[in-house]
Amino acid sequence: MHQTVPQQTLIDCANLTTREINQKLKALASESIPTKLLNPAGRHNLAVGITQIAISIAGPVGYYCGGLSDNINIEVFGDCGWSVGENLMSGNITIHGNASANAAASAHGGKICILGNAGSRAGISLKGATLIVTGNVGYSSAFMMQQGCMIVCGNAGANLADSIYEGTIFVGGEINSLGADAKLEPMSDADWQFLEHELAALNISAKDYNFKKVICAKQLYHFKAKDWANY
Amino acid sequence: MDSKQVLKTSSTYTPEAIAAIQERAELGRYMIRGYGALRNVPRFDDLVFLTTSLTRLPLEGYREKCTTKTFIGTRHAKRPMELKIPITVAGMSFGALSYNAKVALGRAATLLGTSTTTGDGGMLPAEREASSKLVYQCLPSRYGFNPTDLKKADAIEIVVGQGAKPGGGGLLLGQKVNKVVAGMRTLPEGVDQRSPCRHPDWIGPDDLKIKIEELREATDWEIPIYVKMGATRVKDDVKLAVKAGADAIVLDGMEGGTAATQSIFQEHAGIPTLPALVQAVEALQEIGVYGEVQLIISGGIRSGPDVAKALALGADAVSLGTATLIAMGCNKPVYIEDYHKLGTEPYHCHHCHTGMCPVGITTQDAELMQRLPIDEATTYVANYLQSLVMEVQSLARACGKSDVHNLEREDLVALTLEASAMAKLPLAGTDFIVGQ
Repeated sequence: MHQTVPQQTLIDCANLTTREINQKLKALASESIPTKLLNPAGRHNLAVGITQIAISIAGPVGYYCGGLSDNINIEVFGDCGWSVGENLMSGNITIHGNASANAAASAHGGKICILGNAGSRAGISLKGATLIVTGNVGYSSAFMMQQGCMIVCGNAGANLADSIYEGTIFVGGEINSLGADAKLEPMSDADWQFLEHELAALNISAKDYNFKKVICAKQLYHFKAKDWANY
Repeated sequence: MDSKQVLKTSSTYTPEAIAAIQERAELGRYMIRGYGALRNVPRFDDLVFLTTSLTRLPLEGYREKCTTKTFIGTRHAKRPMELKIPITVAGMSFGALSYNAKVALGRAATLLGTSTTTGDGGMLPAEREASSKLVYQCLPSRYGFNPTDLKKADAIEIVVGQGAKPGGGGLLLGQKVNKVVAGMRTLPEGVDQRSPCRHPDWIGPDDLKIKIEELREATDWEIPIYVKMGATRVKDDVKLAVKAGADAIVLDGMEGGTAATQSIFQEHAGIPTLPALVQAVEALQEIGVYGEVQLIISGGIRSGPDVAKALALGADAVSLGTATLIAMGCNKPVYIEDYHKLGTEPYHCHHCHTGMCPVGITTQDAELMQRLPIDEATTYVANYLQSLVMEVQSLARACGKSDVHNLEREDLVALTLEASAMAKLPLAGTDFIVGQ
């Protein structure tokens, strides 16, 4: 018997509460039906705590879009507010616009691409995800990063990678300043190959940028009074 | 002629002050330690109950029922926390505590029908299995925090601060960050793990409101959300947490413990639990949510009378951390030689930060941990909690109450000027309230 599978479900956010929208998304996720959200109007907490769904959002979103989610694919055609992809476990979030502060905060896995600029503290407490920003990032980005990778094609603000434990940051433009216990390391061939691979999907060639690599200097792994001047 | 020699101790340079100066001179930095404040502060001991005689009648101590059922998180959650007793186990991390200690706390809490709480290390699977009601902490570090475990929780506790270190973060020293602990926290093994002092993805109460909505959406508004704070500017902080949408406030006074932080925080930051509780109740009353937003008080609560007095002053429940560890055997006079290796004695040990806990509680050393058999530790904690409940019921019955939540301010007076001023209760035998 032939079964018709809907190609995409449309949800108009205009007359729905956030609760109603997320309930619909969770119901659709269980059926693996791709979904498009219309009129998001900068609303907070869209598509949070959700698994296994592909969502496109036509317009700007507020805080925590895609937060606490796992195995999702979200595309936002607009700007986004604070902490997009907060604590993401796996999947992809792509923002066709700018992001406010704390993009990908404490994200464990998956990939978050900001096709524009990101504000301060991008990649804060990153725990394993990959954050790509094709524009600039603000101050204190990658603060207390633990694992994962951040790729910034543009410039980075002050105190980049302050107090990181592990992970790697690539910056294609200028770095205003490095934070405590961050250091530059020479780019290797493997690094360039990795960047070419990661950026190819965005139609960006790594060779068009003067990428620099930032890692943890590991000088502050243990609290010692003689290191005081480094804080 | 021989003159009698009298040794005098300076009140400024006490033996403790001299030792502290000389320790700083050797270390070149501030001191880091575990446990809680060592100093004396006004506490529940400075209050006494006005039990019944003729104006009120008591209930029969060994016969009549005195109920202890407690609900937390009735404001928004579809599934509020229903506890059999008004005593919960506070958040203490796997990492700071050993595996055996965490599992024993979970099992003991389950036996008493109450909740236990995760901590900075995330949700240990064995802890989830052991605990019938588990509060999942959302801490600034977000170590081990993930949506999978979030959905297994019975409540969420957003930790803003801790009584032992309000405004400061913790420091789990590298010797306790073994392979398992490091794996759960996504950290390199053996590094000093810094617990941040603020959350990575929100800063003020307006942001917190949106964060709370995110957590509610992720958990389908099923479970309550608590906000835990160290006691400082209590009235304003409580009001802002309520405005942000908290179902319950967990307020931790300065007597609260920690696995490791700067000693200066423990002794010189925050306010004691007694005045913190009084101010929190006033704050809830002033904004008209007293009874709607529940209040859990913690910080140095050790006995049934402490619990009963906290309830009488307006708390819905109390939370115990350090006292449950002491029930397991913390500071017990056994393995004396190991206390000596740490430079301390039983009853004086506050070396949780070293990872060399002689009784196997605050350690990740496999050999030391074997000194804390899970079954035995479970029994001790369960017995201790049970004894507290019996004490609370006894005092409540003596005050003529058939429900421990019916204890009230009128049942208490203060023994000291300080306690009178802080608790806003009359001095015993007078109608005089200091400051009023």
